[in-house]
Amino acid sequence: MSIGPDHVAPDALVGIPRQRTNAGRWVADGWSAFRDSLRAQGVGLLEDAATRGIFATDAGGTAYGLPHGVVIARSAAQISSLLKAAQTHAVPVTVRGGGLTTEGESVAYGGVLLDMTGMSNVLEIDERALTVRTQAGIFWSALAERLRRQGLDYLSAPLNLTSSVGGTLGVGGIDVNSPHLGCSADQALALQVVTPTGEIVECSDTENATLFQRVILGYGQFGVITEATLRVRRYQPLRMRYFYYASLRAAIADLQMLDAEEASDYSGILTMMDKAITLLVAFDSDEKEARFERAFLSRLHGAGEFAFAVRTAIFYALRPWRWREALYLYRRKSVLFPEFRRPEFHRGGKMHDRTVVFSRAVWKHWGRRQMVIPDLATSAEKFIEAVERGNEVCRRYFPYYTLYCVGIKLREDHRTHYELSCIPPDARGRAYGCEFEPMLGDAVYSRDTLQSFKNEIYDVGVALGASYYRFGGMMKGYIRRVFGDQLVEHHLTMKRAADPAMILNRDVVF
Amino acid sequence: MSHHDCSGCGLCLLVCPVWHGTRDVRLTPKGRARAIQHGAKREDLAASTAGCTLCGACEPACPEELPLVDMVMELRSGSPFPEAEVRIQGKKKLLLAGRALRAEPDRLARTLALLEGYELAADDGADIVEALEAGTTIADERLAAFLASLALARQVVVAEGLLLRALRRWLADASVRGIGETLLPAISAKLRAGDFYVIASQAFNCDQPRLIGRYDWLRATSGCEMNLDLQRIAMPVAGQARWILEGRRVERIVVEDLAERAAFDFAGKPVLHLAELA
Repeated sequence: MSIGPDHVAPDALVGIPRQRTNAGRWVADGWSAFRDSLRAQGVGLLEDAATRGIFATDAGGTAYGLPHGVVIARSAAQISSLLKAAQTHAVPVTVRGGGLTTEGESVAYGGVLLDMTGMSNVLEIDERALTVRTQAGIFWSALAERLRRQGLDYLSAPLNLTSSVGGTLGVGGIDVNSPHLGCSADQALALQVVTPTGEIVECSDTENATLFQRVILGYGQFGVITEATLRVRRYQPLRMRYFYYASLRAAIADLQMLDAEEASDYSGILTMMDKAITLLVAFDSDEKEARFERAFLSRLHGAGEFAFAVRTAIFYALRPWRWREALYLYRRKSVLFPEFRRPEFHRGGKMHDRTVVFSRAVWKHWGRRQMVIPDLATSAEKFIEAVERGNEVCRRYFPYYTLYCVGIKLREDHRTHYELSCIPPDARGRAYGCEFEPMLGDAVYSRDTLQSFKNEIYDVGVALGASYYRFGGMMKGYIRRVFGDQLVEHHLTMKRAADPAMILNRDVVF
Repeated sequence: MSHHDCSGCGLCLLVCPVWHGTRDVRLTPKGRARAIQHGAKREDLAASTAGCTLCGACEPACPEELPLVDMVMELRSGSPFPEAEVRIQGKKKLLLAGRALRAEPDRLARTLALLEGYELAADDGADIVEALEAGTTIADERLAAFLASLALARQVVVAEGLLLRALRRWLADASVRGIGETLLPAISAKLRAGDFYVIASQAFNCDQPRLIGRYDWLRATSGCEMNLDLQRIAMPVAGQARWILEGRRVERIVVEDLAERAAFDFAGKPVLHLAELA
């Protein structure tokens, strides 16, 4: 086994009690009867250690738990049988798509792990209506692969090729076009859902609307999404422009100005260091880019690559004692810039398949077996303060870290979807999110340190009345603190009504 | 580099033909790595390793740059990939035709004619390919004899993708290339929009960073489509020819690897070997 020996210690936790972090293991009462029930219905249950070990952790690599058995999803009817048996025998069911959670949300601490990637087929593409019906276990990349053959693309999806559609609709899904097109969850027009008690239900804003509202951004509490109808659009390569800043405040101000003015089709901030911040701006059309150049370019405070390089070189030449920092920056630039400019993804000055470019770069240069990415989601007004305070926390814990900031356009008609979700309750028009990712490199940090770091970032969220993209799993202790008892109790009452045995993703939120 | 270096990103799943056919993560590089990280033994993974097609599409996908094909072959055989080194002493040009091309003398003759100055190698290592695939032991004497037969060759063109991968390692001083790459200049002007060009995935994927530019240029200039996915990795044909063509409007199919021609019979379109284009 390669689980690290350094478990989270109670004295390391700032703000939340120990028992709120790692879920307790289910004690397996009733497992045999449950297993017999599944077998009688022909539901395949994999119990060998090798299979269970595949799902022992998630992309975060800090939460570990073994399911008693694994079911590979094959149909809504099969999942219905599974959930009905699970209700009868009170067996927890943890649903997993790409497993890209970082707080153990898709880790099963006993019970059944339902691997949704077994349902990964595109069912129907309607080119005229610009919609696609797909099984929900599909990875966004596989969906894009199929859509591209008909000149189509999804609207927005996480910059991560192996996020699943169903998992993303349950938590949000942020892209660099989210400031203009919203989060992935807002693309969904209709869903097929298997409820925790095993009913197979079609839902949308007009059909079984309450279930739709609870399942979208619902962290898997109110049903398993088995199929989804999504809006799609014509595929466009994009023209990417980069602006460089030495001030986080200036970069965020420019980002928010561009978003508010709808000046670009894509926008976001990615930092290498506090002194090297990149604002990326991109366009689907030449017309939009021309408008940007005419009306907004001169208002930006960032510099071009050459000017910024000269300025930075002078800065470090005058501060030779900071040579390590300068060397890190130079090395980071040397590996990252070519990755984002690989010629096979660029033609005629335009970037093709942005998600592939970004996702490959993210995994290559940020990915490792352990990833810690606490985040804050706030209203536009609170965002600069949230990022600066979060950045201050990063600075105290790690020598190098990356911030990724992006806006999320909100839909007023979806306000009920946003309840108890990553969308902060006080956000109007646009919300903003920032991920704080330490560059762990080859350094070894104890889980105490990593957990304390996350807690301090999350404490900023409590202080500001924000929300979090990742508030489940190990961080669920923050849910009551940030949303308040009244709202959480309201959702808990709905959860108990929908899931009497509290079996579905039971360790994620409540 | 080992299975313990896998970060679990799952990018390998996107290109894995076994994954496409089964949607079962146990049968993928990620599944094997995760299982091993959590205590699985070689014998626990026998079905998974046996099912791997060794297409190598997972390698260019892997951000950790793990030698995933070697790792499967090691799991199959229980021993490391056979190492060997040959000192090149001649300037010959040899074609190692492989099973499929040898079975079609007309196309073999056409290929040889296009490969100016190349001779047909008497020993094309068919038994070594089979041993690599099956994970059985290759006798040291047999491997040495095979490589000695290539020691006079400065340039080697190899039809079998798995052997190409091995020879690039064993014949470090020689130029070892696939048939597709070598014939590209001769056939590029013959490709057109409406063609679907099927890259031999094993040959391409073991050298993807170098080859992608050439094929991308060919795609852009000819207007043809290819079995390149969004990551610019060659999708292997085995078991997924229908998926590869799904949603595409194709008039003609051109294959680099003759062994893959039959897989497209269902399409009802002309299927040519690239040597027939020139």
